[in-house]
Amino acid sequence: MITIFPDILILLFPFVMLSLKLFLKVSLKTQENFAVGYFLVVFVTLNFILLGQNHFYLSNWKIDSFGIFMREIFVLSSLLAISLSHNYFNSSVSLKPKLLNFSEFSASVGFAAFGGIVVVSANDLLTLFIGLELATIPMYALVAWNKRDSEGTEAAIKFILTGSVATAFELFGFSYLYGFSGFITFPEITNAVATAQVSPLLWISLLFIISGIGFKMTLFPFHLWAPDIYEGAPTPVTAILSVTSKAVAITFLTVLVLGPLHSVQKEISPFLALLAGATLFVGNLGALSQSKLRRFMAFSSISQAGYILIALLGNTPNAKYSIVYYLFLYTFSNYLAFFIFSVVGKNQAETFSALRGLSEKNKFLAISLLIALMSLAGIPPLAGFFGKLQIFTTAAENGHFFLILFAVLNNVLALYYYIQVLKSAWIDKPEKEIALSIPTKQKIIILILTLSVLLLGFLPFLSNNLSIAFL
Amino acid sequence: MTLLHCLILAFILFSIGIYGVLTNRHLIGMLISIEIMLNAANINFVAFAYFKAQDPTAGTLFSIFSIAITACEMAVALAILIAMYRKHHSLDVNNQEKNHE
Repeated sequence: MITIFPDILILLFPFVMLSLKLFLKVSLKTQENFAVGYFLVVFVTLNFILLGQNHFYLSNWKIDSFGIFMREIFVLSSLLAISLSHNYFNSSVSLKPKLLNFSEFSASVGFAAFGGIVVVSANDLLTLFIGLELATIPMYALVAWNKRDSEGTEAAIKFILTGSVATAFELFGFSYLYGFSGFITFPEITNAVATAQVSPLLWISLLFIISGIGFKMTLFPFHLWAPDIYEGAPTPVTAILSVTSKAVAITFLTVLVLGPLHSVQKEISPFLALLAGATLFVGNLGALSQSKLRRFMAFSSISQAGYILIALLGNTPNAKYSIVYYLFLYTFSNYLAFFIFSVVGKNQAETFSALRGLSEKNKFLAISLLIALMSLAGIPPLAGFFGKLQIFTTAAENGHFFLILFAVLNNVLALYYYIQVLKSAWIDKPEKEIALSIPTKQKIIILILTLSVLLLGFLPFLSNNLSIAFL
Repeated sequence: MTLLHCLILAFILFSIGIYGVLTNRHLIGMLISIEIMLNAANINFVAFAYFKAQDPTAGTLFSIFSIAITACEMAVALAILIAMYRKHHSLDVNNQEKNHE
């Protein structure tokens, strides 16, 4: 019974949050503490679930090891996003008006997390589609949260237009997949795909589905919306977009490609490899010439999406394991970077020049930034390196050596722009002095995140535990 | 009327939707085009359910669910449009483009 308990808790969270404000009229501070505490409790509960078993509820709500780890990532991401948003609700940050309506904000974050959970538990196309929409629709509202900031509204318009077109593509693809197999449940689709000869209907449907999810995962030809939206959205929302939204999209692809479409995985892998390679390269090229931090993080996360996609070319247990491991590291490193950017951009715009002189003003922040960015770039003792290593090993099992070589070469390119950021923080002299103050809560979270990024790489037992769960 | 007729109709509607999204400069027009694309997919579902599928209930149910989900999406879109209209007093995309580097 405990396996389904966290799901119910997450589903209840938005309603509890809303009624806290509506009926009990508690203060902002209590609401914040409650939301953070709630997600912490859910996260701890998730850790008590026994791994390595498959549970089914209501005949098609599936909970397996992969599902539990993805739940942990969604909950962790929501938890960090809510703590990151603390400053933005209490004062105006980086020259933008302060955000309002915390309880609705955290409710939307909770709904998005539940959408991710629905996607990972799905055992038929309808549940998968509903989960994806449940994870995406709150994002549209979250991007537009700052109504008094016209940039945010503009970004939300762009997001909802591209996102809805992507939804239409997915739905169209699903309809062909339904027509091809005659069923919407995964076991029957698996059978139909395995027994069918090469069917044009299947390929058209895959084309539509992959283009649709490509939008949401910011894969190469569909990535152009990301920088504008990452820049326009409030910083906590940008962080959620880059972690939860991307994690939902990759989960969606994993559930489909390693599930019902497993027997055609060999045939679609050249296509996925091409997408992954192009995404890596374009993301890296784009990041080279940025001057705004959030825009920079957008391109960086585009190239990270390319790396995660490489893992899908591997075989089932290892591919799932490396996706989960990489997403954990990515969550920690990315949120660490966003926390630091939000502290630095407290009283100024979040640009590279805001970072100048950080090493003199605050050694602690400068070192944390070094660790976060080096982990994203994949430098050996840090967590990011082991994540990338795992992904490359997985892809190598099926002989995608050329793609791996290309990805490794791209890493050199990535290192260049990550070091550019560090150069601003460590070498460049500041133009004017702007005082830097870190609230104690933020300091503790940054410290915890820094330690986790360090330790996830250093302590092999964590990754070993993960890999054992998938055997 | 055969399955092929319905599929061709749906595909034409989908193409009209894409054309509309790409050429329309008015935000409401773009939303309507998106709605046409989504309904094309619904026609596909219903057509497959009626003519071919072994599990016809699933297809019809899927289209009903997708109509409801699309309605939610459009509700959020319209809310954002209203927020935008209050700022700019126009829903023309060309008037709102800012220069991004």
